[in-house]
Amino acid sequence: MKNVLILLRKDVLRFVADKPALLLTFILPPVLILIFGLIFGGSGEPQSKIKIIFVNESKSPLALTLEEKLDSSDVLKPVKEFTPEESKVPQRFDEETAVRFVKEGKYSTAIVLPEDFYTDTSSALRIKIFYDPKNAIESSLIQGAIQKTIFTQMSSLFPALMTKRAKKTLKGSKSVSFENEMAEIIGKYFNVSKDTIVKYFSEENIVKNPSGENFIGNIINIESKQVVGESVNNPGVTRMAGGWASMFLLFSIVGASLTLFEEKQEGSLKRLLCMPVTRSQILWSKYVFSTTLGIVQLLTMFVFTWLFFGVDIFTNFGNLFIVIVVSSMAAVSFGMLITSTVKSIQQANGIATIIILIMSAIGGAWFPVSFLPGWMQTVAKFTITYWSVDAFLQVLWRNVAFSGIALHVLILASVGVVVTFYSVIRFRKGNIF
Amino acid sequence: MIEISEVVKNFENVRALQGVSLQIEDGSFFGLLGPNGAGKTTLLNVIIGLLKPDAGHVAIDGEVLVYNDVNVKRKFGYVPQEIALYQELTALTNLKIFGRLYGVTGKKLNERIDWALEIVGLSERKNDVVKNFSGGMKRRLNIACSILHNPEIILCDEPTVGVDPQSRNAIFEMLKKLNREEGKLIIYTTHYMEEAERLCDKMAIIDYGKIIAEGTLEDLTALLEKKETVKILKNDLTVSKLEELKLMGMVNETEFYIELIPKEDFKKNVRLFEKFEELGIPDDNVEISRASLEDVFLFLTGRNLRD
Repeated sequence: MKNVLILLRKDVLRFVADKPALLLTFILPPVLILIFGLIFGGSGEPQSKIKIIFVNESKSPLALTLEEKLDSSDVLKPVKEFTPEESKVPQRFDEETAVRFVKEGKYSTAIVLPEDFYTDTSSALRIKIFYDPKNAIESSLIQGAIQKTIFTQMSSLFPALMTKRAKKTLKGSKSVSFENEMAEIIGKYFNVSKDTIVKYFSEENIVKNPSGENFIGNIINIESKQVVGESVNNPGVTRMAGGWASMFLLFSIVGASLTLFEEKQEGSLKRLLCMPVTRSQILWSKYVFSTTLGIVQLLTMFVFTWLFFGVDIFTNFGNLFIVIVVSSMAAVSFGMLITSTVKSIQQANGIATIIILIMSAIGGAWFPVSFLPGWMQTVAKFTITYWSVDAFLQVLWRNVAFSGIALHVLILASVGVVVTFYSVIRFRKGNIF
Repeated sequence: MIEISEVVKNFENVRALQGVSLQIEDGSFFGLLGPNGAGKTTLLNVIIGLLKPDAGHVAIDGEVLVYNDVNVKRKFGYVPQEIALYQELTALTNLKIFGRLYGVTGKKLNERIDWALEIVGLSERKNDVVKNFSGGMKRRLNIACSILHNPEIILCDEPTVGVDPQSRNAIFEMLKKLNREEGKLIIYTTHYMEEAERLCDKMAIIDYGKIIAEGTLEDLTALLEKKETVKILKNDLTVSKLEELKLMGMVNETEFYIELIPKEDFKKNVRLFEKFEELGIPDDNVEISRASLEDVFLFLTGRNLRD
């Protein structure tokens, strides 16, 4: 035990003296978490809007109403002017310049409401969208936002357009009787006068009351209520913190385990073996050092997320600490398995990097496992990242009691113990000693 | 006394030690000479208990050593070929770590550290980070870390590799001091014959895992039929002349010289120079020197030591 403590102290002193290692373990992960956190809107500030070109060439009051609604969108920021380099005088976009700007990659989407967007004779809205699908997610977001604005903010359009279409296709007295009969039936059953209903069908009403609050509105009434994590501070970072932490943990801990190879190359491992020190003492000191380093690193990262993003790590701190400990144990066992299996530090670095990236990708460290195909979700359960990330999520997001993470803890601790013992056996047969 | 008896060690396809037997007396400075891959380091690893011999044994004062015995390791101070130090830490921290692992603690550890630093001449630099040391200083600290526990036996595995001549001399003086003043038994492996000639009172030559000669420098050079080596400048030496020289004795060709250990027929210098005259080799191109261990190795194996 005394020798283990001396060797442990040696590892700590070496680690503290190694500035790049300190930087990689304690500074780089928080910096990357800060960047990721800001990308995912974790700063607590309003999310930045996506800029699109907006051209309104229509004189219709309805077009102006739609423009107003898009102006107040929480996803899109319509840009209507540009400043040519030659004149320096701001100019309004027209369809031609809008298309050119999209083609030149200056904007990804342009929305054009043409002159015939809505005319007395038209029975449908005409909207032109020019886009560059270089970013599929952004394209989907923009198109979804436009549809949402029309469907939710201008729902009174639909009965009005229906009667307009009737006028156009049925023509003359037939269309008048269609409108009157429709108004009569609706008025009769909903106990509203026919004239009031006819007013709802008019363009004037859409402009005054685009969301159709009086009668037509709320036909589709979606009530949504968050039932989990409703009181969680900064949901974006809280959901992802465990994933980021698990990935960085693996990289740091594998690096710490691989110092055995460095010590072999330097000759200091042989010197130790020529001293009154056993192989087991060397391995256990490395194990204790790496596990402790993992715990300190994870604590540092979570404290960082608390300081910068307000992630609540204290309400369920006991369980969080348990998950931190077993995650570190499992990560160290992985590092020791690699070290005991391969023949050189170059080989170890290559294999470890590949496995860590794959485990992080399919284990939920980068994006939710539910994004993956079914078979891959099954494979994910064979990675330590999956159990570690899910355990952190249960603790921080769901705020579960220990029973909610018992299986995770059991699996991670078992992996930690079994794989470590297997590695110790392999060390005796491997090249490291 | 260390007694090595019929030690055999095989690796997968390599017969590293083939029945090595040696007796090394207390207080001696023993050289183990041989080219790279001859089995020197393997033999040291067997002596210290790091490798288990396939056959044979090593005994100290009649007590057979057990493989990987922690207590046996305390008897030895091992100076590795590599600079086996934690270079990001100070010299003092390195010494403390290794001293404590040898079981030396407290006031005694401080005394031993001061003693070791004094011996290696690094007292003034003890608080400096090792990576800022010169190669020679690192080598000296490498030795200091191995002697903190006052071992009976010091095993030096080519401790001067890559060291400048000045630092090499300092290391030699330090090791001589440990041997002569502190009475340590030193086993010193090297493939530099001049080091062995300068340091060791007894030595063994090992090649392909076998001891091919053993004794004092005088014993070994006496093995040669003629104790002189003739160096001939290669200038204008034709292939046919070289063939003639090969008939005169053992020939080793270097970049600028032909080294010749003459046969019995050419033992007398007069006969030798008569032949050179016959071959048209001017006297100025010929130098006769006393036989060295290098010559002994060449004589015994037919190969140059550094081949």
